[in-house]
Amino acid sequence: MGRIGKYLPGLAIPCLLIVWWFAVTGGGRDTLLPSPEEVISVLFHPFQDLISTGSLAWSTLVSLVRVAMGFSLAALIGIPVGLLMGASRSARRFLSLMVEMARPLSAIALLPLSIIIFKAKTFSQLFGLQYLRYQKNLLNEMQLGMIFILFWGGVFPIILGTIQGVRSVRKMHLEAAGILGANRLFTFRHVIIPSALPDIFHGLKLGIGRCWMVIIAAEMLPGTNSGIGYLIRYSYQLSRYDIMLASIVIIAFIGALFSKGLESLGEKSLVLRSKER
Amino acid sequence: MVKNPSFSEAKKDDMTGLKVTNLCKIYRESTGEVNALGPVSFEVEAGGVLCFLGPTGCGKTTLLRSIAGLEKPDTGEVRIQSHPDGGEPVIGYVFQQGALFPWMSIFANLEFPLKVKSIDKDTRREKVESMLEMMRLSSFASSFPHQLSGGMQQRAALARSLVMEPDLLLMDEPFSSLDTRTSQELQENLRELLKKASTTVLFVTHNIEEAVYLAGKVIVLGHRPGRIVRRETIDLPDPRSRLSDSFTEYLVSLRKTFESLVSDQ
Repeated sequence: MGRIGKYLPGLAIPCLLIVWWFAVTGGGRDTLLPSPEEVISVLFHPFQDLISTGSLAWSTLVSLVRVAMGFSLAALIGIPVGLLMGASRSARRFLSLMVEMARPLSAIALLPLSIIIFKAKTFSQLFGLQYLRYQKNLLNEMQLGMIFILFWGGVFPIILGTIQGVRSVRKMHLEAAGILGANRLFTFRHVIIPSALPDIFHGLKLGIGRCWMVIIAAEMLPGTNSGIGYLIRYSYQLSRYDIMLASIVIIAFIGALFSKGLESLGEKSLVLRSKER
Repeated sequence: MVKNPSFSEAKKDDMTGLKVTNLCKIYRESTGEVNALGPVSFEVEAGGVLCFLGPTGCGKTTLLRSIAGLEKPDTGEVRIQSHPDGGEPVIGYVFQQGALFPWMSIFANLEFPLKVKSIDKDTRREKVESMLEMMRLSSFASSFPHQLSGGMQQRAALARSLVMEPDLLLMDEPFSSLDTRTSQELQENLRELLKKASTTVLFVTHNIEEAVYLAGKVIVLGHRPGRIVRRETIDLPDPRSRLSDSFTEYLVSLRKTFESLVSDQ
């Protein structure tokens, strides 16, 4: 109860909205917007095939795996680049103009370009698994262009967060490490990185949020035929608003889960730094 | 109690723990040059405790930082007695506060300098544990700094400096952020510890009583530019009693020098 209990007050307004929504659309009336029961019924049958796109669970899984790949790539590249840029002035000089120019470019704006570059290639084509083509397989749904724009969406908050973390290391801790005999590498590993962790986690949290927004928008663009964003667009075209709303609920829920998850992972390091005088 | 000019006179060189000659530090700012320190010259015999006493802003911290190598002095020379095994001298430094690594337990904080020297794990554990015991911190080994009181944190910071067995220990007003009682307690601890160790100590403070309690010798530093205005040998028996007449005499005498410095300003 304790852990869940603290979220209860936050549910007050959503509950009111649902009551209002029910009052407006419920009771078997024929309205344009579906009633809450209809949406909940979709949510409670996640494995049922929906308008021949696969199930709700399948669409969610496709989107999640895309995000997982794009975000992991963003973290794998963003954290080292950020560490380098934070620690070395020449790296900062060399890279910061590029980062500042690339950062405001919306990932969605790059989607057509990335399709031109990557030619709608998927992982199954990349690995030469042509026989998978007519099967239902996740690898068929992993378009390289999509992964690229996810990477683009996620990498900049991660780079900036990491730089911020490295640069905000307290001078006294660096001096203490030096006096205790640590060389630059040892200091970097045992002092700079741990004290940058809270900011790195903050960057990761922003990054995964951005990735999740980008994937939904990207899946709504023409040329895609899977994922939860696609499900929203397709169900809208077929006027299946119950499916559309259920997808929106799922997106909101997963988005919250992402940032809460990263927050609790980063909590330990955050707590330690905030308690420091 | 007359000024003791013979204080800086030559002793046998191998008995000198620290020798500073004509140390001078100038800060160059856009508004011009600020002479923060010196030139000052002094020396401390090996194993001796020297207190630098001076009002805020007299360059005490600059002096310590220059000796520690955290700042580059403009002129002057610092010579530290080399390690008994002939290696580089080991310097310990205790900051005013907050220099413990907040993301590490107390144990890990103490282990840090030993890890740097790639001492093997068992020896590290042994050394850290005996140091924790000596500083009466054993029950806090797995605590994090923010879980400790200010006094305990400084005690741990002192332990972290001592675990490296430094040849020279520099202390920058380490107890100034603590309340009088805790501060006195730590002064007593420190005195006990130093009696056993052979470390040369340079202690900086603006607290006269602290200086008289801890030091073998006191140097009073005047205002900008920091310059030596008085050298005093504290010749008191052990254990030192803060209530004894001779203690009070030193206190009053040094207080007079101090007051004249402030009114000179």
